[in-house]
Amino acid sequence: MAKTITDDDKVGATDLQQRKGRSVPELAALLLFLVGLIIYFSFASEYFLDVENGINILTALSVAGILAVPGTMLLIAGQVDLSIASAAAFAGTILGVYAAKTSMGLSITAALFVGVIVGLINGFFVTKVQVNSLITTLGTLAILRGLCYIVGGGQTIMVDDFTFLGLDRPFLNLPTSVVVFTVIAVVGIFVMKYTTFGRSLYVIGANPAASRLVGIRNSRVIVISFVLSGLATALAGLVLTSQLSAAAPMAATGLELSVITAIVLGGASLNGGRGTVSGTIIGLMIIGVLNNGLVLLNVNTFWQDVARGTLLIIAVSFDQFRERWAAKRK
Amino acid sequence: MPDNDMDLISASGIRKSFGGVEVLHGVDLYLASGEVLALLGENGAGKSTLVKIIAGDYTPDHGTIAISGAQYSKFDPIIARDAGIRMIFQELSDAPTLTVAENIAMGGWESSGGFISWKKIRARAIRALELLGVDLDLERRVGSLRIGERQIVEIARALSEKAKVLIFDEPTAALSSAETERLFSVVRNLRVQNVGMVYITHRLDEVARIADRVQVLRDGDLALLADAKKVSRAELVSAMIGHDASDVSHPTDRPTLGEKILHATNITLDETYENVDFEVRAGEVVALYGKVGSGTAEVAETIFGLHPEFTGSIELNSRKYAPKDPISAITDSVGFLPADRQRLGAFMVRPVAENLGVPSWPRYSKSGVLTVKPEEQAYMTWTDRLKIKSRKDPRQKIATLSGGNQQKVLLARWFEGNSRLLVLIEPTRGVDVGARRDIYETLRKSAKEHKIAILITTSDHEEVIQVADCAIVMAKGKQVGVFKGNQITIESLISAAS
Repeated sequence: MAKTITDDDKVGATDLQQRKGRSVPELAALLLFLVGLIIYFSFASEYFLDVENGINILTALSVAGILAVPGTMLLIAGQVDLSIASAAAFAGTILGVYAAKTSMGLSITAALFVGVIVGLINGFFVTKVQVNSLITTLGTLAILRGLCYIVGGGQTIMVDDFTFLGLDRPFLNLPTSVVVFTVIAVVGIFVMKYTTFGRSLYVIGANPAASRLVGIRNSRVIVISFVLSGLATALAGLVLTSQLSAAAPMAATGLELSVITAIVLGGASLNGGRGTVSGTIIGLMIIGVLNNGLVLLNVNTFWQDVARGTLLIIAVSFDQFRERWAAKRK
Repeated sequence: MPDNDMDLISASGIRKSFGGVEVLHGVDLYLASGEVLALLGENGAGKSTLVKIIAGDYTPDHGTIAISGAQYSKFDPIIARDAGIRMIFQELSDAPTLTVAENIAMGGWESSGGFISWKKIRARAIRALELLGVDLDLERRVGSLRIGERQIVEIARALSEKAKVLIFDEPTAALSSAETERLFSVVRNLRVQNVGMVYITHRLDEVARIADRVQVLRDGDLALLADAKKVSRAELVSAMIGHDASDVSHPTDRPTLGEKILHATNITLDETYENVDFEVRAGEVVALYGKVGSGTAEVAETIFGLHPEFTGSIELNSRKYAPKDPISAITDSVGFLPADRQRLGAFMVRPVAENLGVPSWPRYSKSGVLTVKPEEQAYMTWTDRLKIKSRKDPRQKIATLSGGNQQKVLLARWFEGNSRLLVLIEPTRGVDVGARRDIYETLRKSAKEHKIAILITTSDHEEVIQVADCAIVMAKGKQVGVFKGNQITIESLISAAS
C-alpha cells in the first residue's frame, strides 16, 4: 500500500509546526464575525446602518490602516515596528514646524523625508547591527516621542490650510485619507501576492537562514520594508495633522498597539511566514465596527479598549483550540 | 520471548488509522528488561506511530498494551510516564538556557523543608551521569553542549526518573562518529541497569552493533523479527523494501564526462581544511568523503560562497571564481543543499511549491511581478519525476511531508533553478532507504542526462560507493586519498580515512 500522506513517520515535522505557534485564523471565519457584528449593531442602533456612518468608520480606521499595511508586511517577515505611532506624531510635528516657516509643499516633503530616515535607521539596526526589531523600534518609539516635544517645544502647533488629506472629500464623498488607505491596501495586497519582493517577505519570515541560502537578499528586503513602514508613518502623520488642523506632541499615542492587534487578528503569525493584507483589513474593520457600534450604543469609551483586548485574546485562543483539535484528529 | 508475562512491554494486535487510512494492521511489539530492540522500516512503515502508541501519545484503535505484566485498558502519556516509558526525541526537548544539573533535575525538583535542595539535585545528576559512564560539567548551560552531549543529558534525566523503557528515535542521525561511539557505550551501560530500549534507526550497520533483536515494519505490518546478531544486511534491506536488493553496489552506468565545471586548486580555510585539490566535470558525481569534522562540509560551503575568506584558487566553467556569498554562487548556477534540512533548508510553514520555486523566481518574474503558477506547475512536474510522495497539492505545507520527500523537494529546487553545479552536504541524512535510492538514482540520472556536475559530502561510505564516480577522502582537514570508479571500495575508503 502506497501511503500518500507520509507525515506520521517524522516527529520533527508536526512538532515544528506546533512549535511555530498560532496559525492563520480562517479568513472566512473572520469575515463571518465581521458580518455578524454589522448585523448585530444594525439591529441594536438605528444610526448604525447609514452611509455617513460607514464613512465615519472608514475615516476612523484610515490612519491605523495606512500603518497596518506595511506593518503586516513586516510581521510576515518576522519583524515588528513599534515606532509607527511616535514616528507619525513626529512627522506631524515636522510638518507643523516647517509649515509655520515655509511652503506647504516643502513641509510635506520634509515630513516624508523624516519618515524615510526613520525607516532607514530602524532597518539599519535590525539588519546590520542585528538588534531584534522589537527592541530597536521600542528604542525609536521613545526617541521619536521625546523629539516630538523637543522639536515642537511641547506645544500643539496649529496647522491651517491643510485640510486636503484629512477633511476634504474630493472623491465619491470620501475623505482623502480613506482613498489613500484604500490605494495602499490594494497595492499591499498586490505586492504580497504577485511580486518577488512580497513573496520574499514570506520566505524570510518562514526561515531567514534558509532564505539566504536560496538567494534572497534578506537585509535589503527588510530595510526596504522598514522604509515603506517609515513612509507610511509620515503619511499617517500628515493625515492626522490634517484631520485635527494641528500637530500635537502626544498625537497617536498607543496607536501601534491597535495596529498590531488588527494585524494579528487578521491572521499574521508573530513567528513570521504567515498572514495576509486582506486579513489585516478585515481585522481593522472588525475593530472599527466594534468601536463605532459601542459609541453608538453609548458605551463608555474606556470599554472599547476592554472589548478590543478581549476580542484579540478570544480570536487567537479560538484559533489555538482549532489547531490543537485538528492535530489530535490527525 | 513473546507471551511472557514478565515482558517489560507486551503490545499485541495494535491497529491504528488516521483519517480512514489504517497505518498499523495489527502489529505486536515485545521488549524484555535489559534488551535493545532495533525497530526498522522505511518512512511511512508505521514505526513512529507504533512507538507513539507505546509512549501513550496515540490511542490504538485495537490491541492491548501490558507493561511489566499489568494490562492497561486506557493508556495515555501520563500513564506511560508513570510506567517508566520515556522517548528520547530526535529533536531535543531540553531547556538550553538551563544547566546540565537543572536539566537532569527537571520534572522532579528535589527539595528539603519546602525549598529546592541544590545539593540533592547535584547528587542526583552526578548519580545519573555515573550510571551512564559519562563525565559532564554540571554547571554548563545545555545550549552550549554538542548535540550528542545534550542527548546524553536527556537520557540522564530519564534515568534519574527511574525510566524502565527508553525509546530512541534515530538517535545517531546528527551525531559524529565519536559521539555515536559514546552513545553506544551509554546504551550498553543502560542495558546493565536493566533498562529496555526500543531503537529506531535507518543505519543498518548499527543493528548488529547495538541491538539484541530487530523488528522490521513494512506498510504497517511486521516484515521481519530476527536475532540482530544473526540477521544479514540483505535480509534487513529486503524486509524493509519488500524485495531482494543487492544493497551496496556501484552504479552500473559510466558517464561520458563533459567539460570541466569546477576546479579547486590548493584551497585552504584557516584551521578547517588545507590544500584541497579536486575537479568536477559535467555529468560526474564527486564525493568528498570524511568523518564529521574532517572539513568536507566546509569545502562544500566554500564553493557556495559561505567562506569567502578561503585562499587558493577555484575555477568555475574555466573562469576564475571567488564566491563571496550564496547569491553570487547562485548567480553562477551553483545550487546548494545544507545538512540541516529543518534549520537551513526548508520553509516549514510554506507550501511545497514555494519551497521548490524560490531560486527560480528571477526567471519566473517579469520586472518584479511574479505569480504562483509557474512554481506550482514545476512542482507537479518534479513530484512525478522524483517520485515525491505527497497529496499532489502544490499548496500543501512542506512540513507535512516525510523527511525523504522534503529532501526531494529541496533537490528539485535546484534542478528547477537550472543549476549546472550542485553542492550537496549529506544529501541523504535522516532519509529512509527507499527515498535514498530514489535520490541516488535522480542524482546519477540528472548528472548524465542534463550534464550537471554534482559534488556531495558524506560521512557514509556506502553512499560514496552507490553514487560517486570519484571519491576524495578527507581526514582532519587534509585530503588523504582519491579513488575512481571501481577503486572505490569500503576497504579503500575506510583505510584512507582512518
